Amino acid sequence: MATIVSFVLLGIGILALVLRRDLVIKLLALGLINASSILFLVSIGNRPGGRAPIQFPGETAVLVDPLPQALVLSAIVVNFAILALALVFVMILVERYHTTDAQRIEQEMSRETDEEETPCL
Amino acid sequence: MSTQKRWIVCSVGIVAFFVVLLSITYMASMPDSADSERYLSIPIEVSGAANRVAGIYLNTRLFDTLIEILVFSVAVLGVRYYLSHSPQISLPSLSESAVVRTAAGILGPLALLLSVYFATFGHISPGGGFAAGVIAASAVLYVAIAQGMQATEARLSPQRIAAAEKGILLFLFLWILLPLAFGDAPLTELLPPGTPGKLLSAGSILPYNLLIGIKVFFGAWLIIAAFAQHRGDL
Repeated sequence: MATIVSFVLLGIGILALVLRRDLVIKLLALGLINASSILFLVSIGNRPGGRAPIQFPGETAVLVDPLPQALVLSAIVVNFAILALALVFVMILVERYHTTDAQRIEQEMSRETDEEETPCL
Repeated sequence: MSTQKRWIVCSVGIVAFFVVLLSITYMASMPDSADSERYLSIPIEVSGAANRVAGIYLNTRLFDTLIEILVFSVAVLGVRYYLSHSPQISLPSLSESAVVRTAAGILGPLALLLSVYFATFGHISPGGGFAAGVIAASAVLYVAIAQGMQATEARLSPQRIAAAEKGILLFLFLWILLPLAFGDAPLTELLPPGTPGKLLSAGSILPYNLLIGIKVFFGAWLIIAAFAQHRGDL
């Protein structure tokens, strides 16, 4: 079930990333995609009747797979780092162009480039 | 077909492609559990950590974790650099209500205590350095909400914290190279694993958890402080 939910979240994330023009929404979509991959990794580590992977000497209980959980840790940290950096870049763009609309920012940038390339008469 | 409709069709197509591709990959080859079995077959006495996850990311796959810490440091550096080089903005200060400030003042120290517990007991119970660091940064954010950003920055100066953060990173890398001095390969465990389940066990995992906790705390606090300085206030 969790695996299916992770695929659904991935779909929503990719759709929002592609369809929405707002840069902040795009960042949120990236976060959603990351959450879906975390959920997927945790769900594939599940085992029926498995306990949290904390084991003391002599215990033989069934544990869930600890490897995906260790990998998920990296995913969370790297996502946090990427989102913080991306947010800074979005802030810089917003301060310069006064909009979060990706299409308008592109138009402004191409207009600026055209103006720079136009020879002075 | 209008541009927007074309975008929607393309997007749905891309999503459908990815979902079908992932589903087929997942169904065709269920994740190979051989790797996991290999990790689980290692007795806990080897790493000494009752927490299997800590035993993996701070012992068997320590190299991954160190690179991950490096990525985090680079991100902190990037955030501070770009924010300090972009013009400061002055938004109207939003003061929190007395209820929020009082609650934050009470919750801050409790969250800090929880972070110390997570870092110290991360090898025998759920937790670890990364979680502890983020909780500690949240705790200081609570304190900043309660007492104001300027008072908090006066105690935790970003310049000094940045130097300490880089110092911890350097120390961690020196620690993994230290075995070379004894003629061993880098990443060789220096401390004895001890008895799993005891507080003083798991070799270097306890100091790693503490150091990573402090480092992540410093890094997250630097990011918060950089955003707050850029904005003028919290």
